[in-house]
Amino acid sequence: MGTAPLVRLGNTDRLEYSQSLFGQKVQTGLVMRLWFVLLTGLSVSCATPAADARAAAPQGPTSSRHWAYQAVTRPPLPDIDQLASVANPVDQFVLARLRRGQRTFTPSAPRAVRLRRVTLDLIGLPPSLDEVDRFLADPRPDAWGRVIDRLLASPAYGEHWGRYWLDLARYADTNGYNIDVQRPIWPYRDWVINTLNADLSFDQFTVSQIAGDLLPAATPAQRIATGFHRNTMINQEGGVDPEADRVKTIVDRVNTTATVWLGTTLACAHCHDHMYDPFTQREFFAFYAFFNQTQDVAGGVPNSSLEPLLRIPSPEQQMEWDRLRSALAHLPEGQTAAREKLRQAETALLESIPNTMVLQERSQRRITRVHLRGDVGNPGEVVTPGVPAVLHSFAAVVGQSRPPNRLDLARWLVASDNPLTGRVTVNRYWQRFFGTGLVTTSDDFGKRGHSPSHPALLDWLAREFVDTGWRVKAMHRLIATSRTYQQAARGPHREESLRPAQSSQQGPSLAGPWWDHGPRFRLAAETIRDLALAASGLLNRQIGGPSVHPPQPAGFWLEFGTRGFGMEKWPTSAAADCARRGLYTFWRRTTVYPTFAILDAPSREHCTVRRPRSNTPLQALSTLNDPAFLQCAAALALRAIRADHPNQADRIVFAFRLCLSRRPQPTELARLVTFYEQQLEHYRNHSSEADKLIRAVGLSPITQIDRRQWAAWTILASLLLNLDETITKG
Amino acid sequence: MNHNDGRFPDSGPAPASYSCDATTAAEPAARRHFLSRTTGGFLGALGLASLLNRNPGAARQPPERHQPLPVQTPHFAPRAKRVICLFMLGGPSQFELLDHKPRLNALHGTPVPADLVRGDQFAFIKGTPNLAGSAFRFRRHGQSGAELSELLPHLASVADDLAIVRSMHTEEFNHDPAVMFFNAGSAFTGRPALGAWLTYGLGSESEELPGFVVLASGEPEGPPVGFHHWTSGFLPTAHQGVRFRGNGDPVLFLSNPPGVSRRTRQQTIAALRDLNQIQQKNIGDPEIGARIAAFELAFRMQTSVPELTDLGRESATTLRQYGARIGHGSFANNCLLARRLVERGVRFVQLYHRHWDHHGFNDQDQNVLHALPQRCREVDQPAAALIKDLKQRGLLDETLVIWGGEFGRTPMVQQAPTPTRLGRDHHPGAFSIWLAGGGIQPGTLGRTDELGYRVVEDGVHIHDLHATLLHLMGLDHTALVHRHQGRDFRLTDVAGQVVKKLLG
Repeated sequence: MGTAPLVRLGNTDRLEYSQSLFGQKVQTGLVMRLWFVLLTGLSVSCATPAADARAAAPQGPTSSRHWAYQAVTRPPLPDIDQLASVANPVDQFVLARLRRGQRTFTPSAPRAVRLRRVTLDLIGLPPSLDEVDRFLADPRPDAWGRVIDRLLASPAYGEHWGRYWLDLARYADTNGYNIDVQRPIWPYRDWVINTLNADLSFDQFTVSQIAGDLLPAATPAQRIATGFHRNTMINQEGGVDPEADRVKTIVDRVNTTATVWLGTTLACAHCHDHMYDPFTQREFFAFYAFFNQTQDVAGGVPNSSLEPLLRIPSPEQQMEWDRLRSALAHLPEGQTAAREKLRQAETALLESIPNTMVLQERSQRRITRVHLRGDVGNPGEVVTPGVPAVLHSFAAVVGQSRPPNRLDLARWLVASDNPLTGRVTVNRYWQRFFGTGLVTTSDDFGKRGHSPSHPALLDWLAREFVDTGWRVKAMHRLIATSRTYQQAARGPHREESLRPAQSSQQGPSLAGPWWDHGPRFRLAAETIRDLALAASGLLNRQIGGPSVHPPQPAGFWLEFGTRGFGMEKWPTSAAADCARRGLYTFWRRTTVYPTFAILDAPSREHCTVRRPRSNTPLQALSTLNDPAFLQCAAALALRAIRADHPNQADRIVFAFRLCLSRRPQPTELARLVTFYEQQLEHYRNHSSEADKLIRAVGLSPITQIDRRQWAAWTILASLLLNLDETITKG
Repeated sequence: MNHNDGRFPDSGPAPASYSCDATTAAEPAARRHFLSRTTGGFLGALGLASLLNRNPGAARQPPERHQPLPVQTPHFAPRAKRVICLFMLGGPSQFELLDHKPRLNALHGTPVPADLVRGDQFAFIKGTPNLAGSAFRFRRHGQSGAELSELLPHLASVADDLAIVRSMHTEEFNHDPAVMFFNAGSAFTGRPALGAWLTYGLGSESEELPGFVVLASGEPEGPPVGFHHWTSGFLPTAHQGVRFRGNGDPVLFLSNPPGVSRRTRQQTIAALRDLNQIQQKNIGDPEIGARIAAFELAFRMQTSVPELTDLGRESATTLRQYGARIGHGSFANNCLLARRLVERGVRFVQLYHRHWDHHGFNDQDQNVLHALPQRCREVDQPAAALIKDLKQRGLLDETLVIWGGEFGRTPMVQQAPTPTRLGRDHHPGAFSIWLAGGGIQPGTLGRTDELGYRVVEDGVHIHDLHATLLHLMGLDHTALVHRHQGRDFRLTDVAGQVVKKLLG
């Protein structure tokens, strides 16, 4: 139409149009960015910088480089006057600092408590009573080590530690955003579980996930592993610009990689040079260039946006496939009907084979440019793949014959001179066991992060981890066998400053916990559920497979979602699948399984390094009233009623131990007995209430059992499942 | 564990969580840090004093009665204490409701000037479709002469209480990012929503209810409502919005299972307290005290929430004014519920009403001519009744009511219109909202060009709206910060200006 219509408007209007920059849709972004530059002046920043005493890191007198970017050298083990009181080098470092603060270890936690702690930490389930009894009766000096070896060999280990990894990998079963429909990627979740169980070294674990597809003769497993970076969200809303959405996914891959392996907030350098850490915007996009070469197209193109996919036939399906292909190949000409039949069988088979989303490199390379101010519509200079200059050398890992690619990046991430990957990874392990990392800001090792409570211990662990071949289970064993870990608990570890009066140190006081008592903190959402299922005997230990749908409140999806995308109704699974471990629960990003969301599970829209641990009345309502927990209580009640014990008190001890491993103290037992008698009396006087309760728990009716007794026991079991100690690792 | 676990080491002015476990060495450090951040003079003496008065000694004693989100002193004297946000999900058309454009009407059916839209991106529109005038008539109302569409007859009766802003603009033209931008000042997920910032900055006046409550109504069509719209982001989870449901338990798992009486539950809570206290004596973990308190609050909520949601306690007159019907999950019921919530001290109530996304794909629910009047019939009367009711109860002065959507609609049609159908595309460049109560200056603010396409006077960006809102609540938007991953975050990011003309 050209400019003609403008003429129809009055002069005033023309003037308005020329002045309308401020209000224009696309230009508002520009105005914002102009403000941004104006407001922030020379230091184009996200926010007001602040002096941060904590940022002052322990640095060598001659080095000006931030501690985390300095090479990791193996520190000498500190001299300890009481070597007898240490179990391994971890304790030596911890005790050395305790001595300087005129403190000492807390004595070890009681055996049953310790066993519960380590079992929850290594496999995410409580120990069975048999396991408790055996450990209590084991006089061998290496009994503790044997327990740890047994747990590390359990297939439940990979499930539990896999769950942690899935938070980092932002693994979910849906695309996210508005439409948030299902995607096929659970085989990646199973790969994580199996790989952790097989104790694949962390460097190979890394390379497979970042660049498994680029490995020479990549195996299906290595290609499945690249699902790590297919866990980015996809916006299928109408009108989404596919390229803009693809850029978002690449930016997320950069940020996630930097967070998980480098403990670095590289995301801050997306729009401008990093405000606090030595990363330029150009370096952000050089890093981006590694990831900018894959085929996946992200959003705006419904139905085609999940490609590339990898088919994963089971061995049986593979055999059947081979058989059909061979039959087709050997079929004589003219047998049209037979051919058609085989083709149909082939199609049916193909449809039954699961797919998983994978990364695949494009044949034609994209040119990567800096997006000025983070705006894809504002291209700057061309950049080639590269890594931040402040970090270790990239040259050592690059193949000379071709441009650097993701495989080079992956190898660089796990190069033995990488100052960050080792530190960041062992710190996260520490955080899993102790609730808090040696560096409490486990997602930020930059200048704005906190300095380590025990720098030498962190470096020693990192060096040990890398030099002994990135063996994950060995690191977990090392931490779990330490005396530090076995101490009795007091409460959560908190950051403290060294009190000057007690410090013999000069210079800046160190921040961070002392680790002078054992860890104690609330369990994660999935673990609370798994524990209830295990204690009640309902737990289905089947590993892997498509995600499952244990019951959730009726109509919950439609309350949040939209009709017309096939996601109206939560398809509740068959009974057996309702008692699977929490990590198999279908994860929909916009409507996370409600009890999990209430217990601080993340949406998995982005990488989560530290889940918050809140303490709210909504959680109390969930664990008291969620039908899933009620069913566990009723099943635990049945177990107790049927247990071969002469009297009620012994049955209560039995149920108590199923939840807490230890025996109740006399005062505790007395309170529980009183409570039970109170409930029994109530249901004896109100037997129709007992009937109502037992009908509601959703277990098959057991005629031999007095419903009033079962109901009273169910209330008692629910109490046990709701004890602070039950939902806490202590 | 709570915010002192190192996750929130440098919490801003008013960290709070359900945990009553309080003081550690981290807290003085956090305060020190806060001071170092604000020595630029953002805060008045009042604000600083309130921070320093957070007595560590007092905090060490668990309070008798658990205070979930203790009230915090604002930076300066507030005009409003509570906010009710009526959010029309999908993007209501300003041309049929609040932004009267006679010139656009005159140009109805002519192509949009190519120069005007050149380079702009739309969700669906390509090229230069025809302009469409308003399908409905406007009239002036009240002393102020505010112009309102005939679709809003009830609102017209409170015209003099309204501040109509015709110059809103935002940055996103797809629903989900735009809703996030309206709620959290960013299209990136993971930022706290406005309600979370408010309880973070001010705490909650209610001991028995969450400080941030979300209600939703309308057909499950068009853009959905999701957890991420009321997330606490990187703030402690206790600040997260709690969705009260229209069906079943208003709060998830609020009711005891069948066959479990209130007395049984009371005995359970008492036994849990006794047993947890034994453990607390043995271990000394203050978190156990917080757990006891959380369970006791849960027990109290089992009474207070049903009492709150029982609209049978309202008079027939009130129900009629709102158009509320007991047992319905309607917008009218939610408006009445919103009043009951703010009466009880809830800080931020957000009502989502769905299905305002009228592209014109069909003659029914996508049609501005058909669906928009329907939506208006659903919201007009209750919204007006809410204002009157608040006013009558003396609550309007301290309660800020906001009505709006994530963006506006285009002055040009999306599909070729027919006599029975009109559809408009998403438009972030200019849209209209209204506000009432809570220190707002009634009147009409801002102006768009004659086609209603661009803002030409007194533009109000979402960040400006947020800055103004925080200002009315007694908070300086540049000082309400939370450090996360080494960066100090604000609701208004690095922008936002308080809109002085909106202040009464």
